[in-house]
Amino acid sequence: MASQYAAELCMLMVEDNFGELFGRIFSTLHRYERLTLPRLLGYTRLSENRLRAALVAMIQHHLVYFYTAIEEGGVTYYSANMQAAYYLVRSGKILELVEDRLGKYAATVMSTIMYLGHAQVSDLDTLPDLRPEAPNTNGAHNEEVDLPGEDIETNGTNGEYVLEQSALHPTLKALAGHGYIVRVREAHFQSNADNILNIERQIRLGDSAQSMKGKRLEEYVLEKTENMLRERLDGDLTRGHLVNGVPRGVNRNRASGGSADADNNRELFDYEDVGDGEEEDEWADDEVPMDARQSSITVRVNYEKLDVALRNRRFLELAERDAPSETAQIYDYLLRRIEYQTSRCRDTSEIPREGEEGEQYSVAIPLSALAQDIDHYLDLVGSLAPINTSTNRLGKRSLDDAINDDDDNDENGTNGNRTFEIDQHLCLLAQPPLNLTSKRLNGGIIHWTIEFRHLARKLRHLELERIVEARYGDVALRVLRVLQAKGKLDEKRLQEISLLPFKDLRQVLASMQTGGFVDLQEVPRDAQRQPSRTIYLWYYDPDRIRDSMLQDTYKSMSRCLHRLNFERGRLKDFLEKTERSDVKGNEELYLSEGELEKLREWRAKEALLLGEVSRLDDMVAVMRDY
Amino acid sequence: MASAGSGGSVTELASRLYDACLANFPIDHLFYQQDLLGLDIIPKNDLPLLLQCTQSLVDQKLLRLLQGKNDRLAWKLIAREDAEKLQNLSPDESLVYNVIHSTGRSGIWVRQIQSRTNLHKSILDRCLKSLEGKSYIKSVHNVKFPSRKMYMLAGLAPSEDVTGGAWFTDGVLDENFIGVVSGFIEFSVSKKSWYEVPAADRARAKRLKTADGSAAAATVKKDGSAKYLPYPAGYTGYPTIAMLTAAVNQSGITPVRLGEESVTQLLEMLCYDNKLVALNNGEVYKSVMNPEQVKARQARKPNEDRAADDDRLVLNGMTEVPCGHCPVFNLCVPGGAVSPENCEYFETWIHEKGPLSF
Repeated sequence: MASQYAAELCMLMVEDNFGELFGRIFSTLHRYERLTLPRLLGYTRLSENRLRAALVAMIQHHLVYFYTAIEEGGVTYYSANMQAAYYLVRSGKILELVEDRLGKYAATVMSTIMYLGHAQVSDLDTLPDLRPEAPNTNGAHNEEVDLPGEDIETNGTNGEYVLEQSALHPTLKALAGHGYIVRVREAHFQSNADNILNIERQIRLGDSAQSMKGKRLEEYVLEKTENMLRERLDGDLTRGHLVNGVPRGVNRNRASGGSADADNNRELFDYEDVGDGEEEDEWADDEVPMDARQSSITVRVNYEKLDVALRNRRFLELAERDAPSETAQIYDYLLRRIEYQTSRCRDTSEIPREGEEGEQYSVAIPLSALAQDIDHYLDLVGSLAPINTSTNRLGKRSLDDAINDDDDNDENGTNGNRTFEIDQHLCLLAQPPLNLTSKRLNGGIIHWTIEFRHLARKLRHLELERIVEARYGDVALRVLRVLQAKGKLDEKRLQEISLLPFKDLRQVLASMQTGGFVDLQEVPRDAQRQPSRTIYLWYYDPDRIRDSMLQDTYKSMSRCLHRLNFERGRLKDFLEKTERSDVKGNEELYLSEGELEKLREWRAKEALLLGEVSRLDDMVAVMRDY
Repeated sequence: MASAGSGGSVTELASRLYDACLANFPIDHLFYQQDLLGLDIIPKNDLPLLLQCTQSLVDQKLLRLLQGKNDRLAWKLIAREDAEKLQNLSPDESLVYNVIHSTGRSGIWVRQIQSRTNLHKSILDRCLKSLEGKSYIKSVHNVKFPSRKMYMLAGLAPSEDVTGGAWFTDGVLDENFIGVVSGFIEFSVSKKSWYEVPAADRARAKRLKTADGSAAAATVKKDGSAKYLPYPAGYTGYPTIAMLTAAVNQSGITPVRLGEESVTQLLEMLCYDNKLVALNNGEVYKSVMNPEQVKARQARKPNEDRAADDDRLVLNGMTEVPCGHCPVFNLCVPGGAVSPENCEYFETWIHEKGPLSF
């Protein structure tokens, strides 16, 4: 992460979002790593007041870690938090995701939290931005969380107090339930290394560690550190918001939103045996204590969880490309279910090397739970071919349909059948080459899971393959896939498998070698290492390529931002005019036709460059975060 | 006198032995001593006599002397017409001929002939020339060692190792042929791996969907052309290698019969091209695109593919941004000779893309 281009990019992001002062402090901290306040003062040449104020704000935004070393007499060290700076790039995407899932108002709340870095719930209450006009409240809310009936009822009973804040608190709850926001813990302000060292020190001083020695002590410390670290960083707010592994409110909506017979269906499927009325009570009971506790909580954006959601979206895109849209929709339901119970993309901090990666399965979702979620009007039958058409095509098919038609009319009768259909759709996704799902049998009940590592790897390879295809053509892509599947190969074997003429093959290999995508290994047959007595093997190392592509991507992103700044500089005077407080918002009134045109052009340019940065960020996410 | 008498009888015996061998065994049978004695032609299993007979046959080029298992002597028959050919050869030539014969369909490198026969290069060249002139041997082209001069008997077809399989013509990979066959295979796999919704059904499906008002777009979009659906998992109708081989051979697009290995090779290549997917460990194959898409892509000329590139992978950030193609990307530094500020690729890119975003 801390490479030259990544640092450059983060610097630009900080500067772009928070201005030059932050940028300066950030880049100084990055350049000199950990600094105490006096030294930071010396390097940045800022006045102490300004620096202190800026540092406080940067800490608020999690851009700077601080650590007060008690053992050194209370010296406080500051260091830059590259990760947080990088996530500024992703903010737009995150807001879009939140809007897509939970509605516009939730996105506003999210952006406010992002804008503040972290915020106390009671402070959010007082913000004017988050207080929508009274008549809008119910409407907006219903749209977001899609609560029918019950929600309005609740509002009614709780009276005026709720009316004012009705939108904010349920929205926060929804955000918390989805895990998109977490509670801020003290450990969040310190870098990972500091946290670990600190905890280790504590453990070593503790009673139980005193009695141990040598290897056992190390093991004990290691294990204990992990636990304590998790405990200290844990700001999970989803507890108490999840019912049967689904955030409160989501489950019921799906079930009751679909059809009139929903209640019947639910009773059939509710394996946890939570009756309707009971659930209702729970929901109402929660209202008061949650609020009281919540207003003192400080929340921040949970980027780890959002990465999971964004990654799932990429998986869904894969499914959409290959499978019928109905299948993709079913996959979406499965992914949602899994997302609620997945807190981070992977357990290790670095992406493991290719081939050394173990598989990491997602939580298994029982098929019956899925069947309950899925929209009852989704046409499951028409989107898959009947399995036994090869014998008698036409006759069989129409017969099948006739039967299914009857079933559709009779909702209750179709449950078993629909479960089977859903299973069929998921089976289709489980097929190679993508293996988007995988099936588990748990005590005779069918469960569906996702092989996260496998799919993340697929995504990574796909990104690299796209680059190769764009640069060197489809022939190169074939060669690359062969090398990837077979390992190291000499030219003759490579030709036999890829069925390419020698001339083309050599050309492609040579150009890819220049680009650093493939490389040649020499295996001498004797000690003299003569070229004629040497075997040459071509190989492709995805890890290395991924690393170098990641750096290139950072660089491209930073170049785009540079260019944007440059373009902005060119239009500086004009842009300043458009941003004047009287002109802003009334552009039509104050600007001439030519100027309006110019403004449009500029906005298009800005959108293009920023859009590109965000597209590049998609790649970074695939290569670094997923 | 005795020797003359026995000499006469030896030739006679030998020719009787030869005829008996020819009558009782296939031509490429490997004869051991027991086999010959078992024919009951040599009286009293007289071993020296047998030896004389076989020697005379070998001299007449009617038998070829070989070393069988456990260093035992063994013989093989040579057809009479071949024998006549061989008898006309000079000793050197027949030496060379035997060496070439011994390597069968895989052919032999000139250098190896030299080392085995210990002939001088000029003599060897002369022998090869005269043998080639009589069209007893032919020179072949080996794909693995294109620079080596190899020979084999004129009547034999070079083995797959030498030719590189069905995909090589004269030692060079036949691209057009591969293209035609792979196109055919892809299309035929595609036809079997997608279910074409019958026209009547399609109308019905559409009606249903519009009735409930959801997701009607999917069907409406593809209206007019055939609609294809994937088969569910566990579908057994995907074509196997044997089926595809038969189909290719029946289609008449190949001048030669293709073996299953050749087709497998091609299928694997198509898998690496992401056109096919192997299921059940490569037993059966399924196509990625449906027949309509395959047809559309094959109809497109290779030169104009930039315009409609739906079979290419979807673009990503790095392929769109000018930096992804920039030849001087490594030199680019803000404020440097190559910098984002003075970048001409950015300039043209922004101008190209800018208006489109409206």
